[in-house]
Amino acid sequence: MPEASADGGRQSFEAPLRITAIAVGGAAGTLCRYGVERSLAVSPGRFPWATFWVNVAGSFLLGVIVTLVTERWPPTRFVRPLAAIGFCGGFTTFSTMAVEAARLGQHGHVATAAGYVGASLVVGVLAAATGMLAARGRLLPPAGGPIPDPDDLGAFRHRPPATRSDDRGGAR
Amino acid sequence: MIIVGLVVAGGCGAVLRYLVDRSVQRRVASDFPLGILLVNLTGCLVLGVLTGAALHHGLSATWVTVAGTGLVGAYTTFSTFTYDTVRLAENDQWAFSVANVLVSVVVGVGAAAAGLALGSLA
Repeated sequence: MPEASADGGRQSFEAPLRITAIAVGGAAGTLCRYGVERSLAVSPGRFPWATFWVNVAGSFLLGVIVTLVTERWPPTRFVRPLAAIGFCGGFTTFSTMAVEAARLGQHGHVATAAGYVGASLVVGVLAAATGMLAARGRLLPPAGGPIPDPDDLGAFRHRPPATRSDDRGGAR
Repeated sequence: MIIVGLVVAGGCGAVLRYLVDRSVQRRVASDFPLGILLVNLTGCLVLGVLTGAALHHGLSATWVTVAGTGLVGAYTTFSTFTYDTVRLAENDQWAFSVANVLVSVVVGVGAAAAGLALGSLA
């Protein structure tokens, strides 16, 4: 399915590669989710922690990756298809959450179902927002910033500017 | 063997999501993430049917894992849903952001319940 575009030739070569990247990422994400659901298996009627943690972790990771790709990194072609659309998309799942919630509700665990969906939404949205902020460097010092000079004690001096000129004079 | 099935199904599910989302985005010019909403709602219905059929008609566990966990699990996505919700809020499109959450959850769980009922009947 070649796409019509200004750069015709390259696009027809790039589209299958993008699809392949999505498939590889999706397969890896699915295997990881399967692994988590196997190791965190929850008995029926209980809070489905496996899907909850998968969705929260995947939301954080997608927030980080998409923000790095769209706002911080130079343009890349395959990071987003592979890591975001493929891996994070395949790792997280909406349908499993909905079916788990519907089954909890049908078996009379309405409070657990409501708590599960509510917690997934609130913590998932917060995780995505936290990931986006982290990628923008708002949570940690910017990675690309100047390396602080270990001999520079300026940040630890809490003196008014007037006394600073006295210091300088003394040093001379 | 189930791992091979999951790899193939997971890859196909992710690609299917991309193709459905892209074709919706090309037809409907809107900031509302209609493509992912459509993907998630149809996935909830299908996974409900599969789960219902497994519970009441003895659909084999291997098939449910490959088609349900693999194909439909990878087809639907939670991370893009939460990311889009945050981006809409950041852009002050609060109505879209709230509508995305409410419609996804209410109709999604409803579709899953309808699917479970359908799957147990059929």
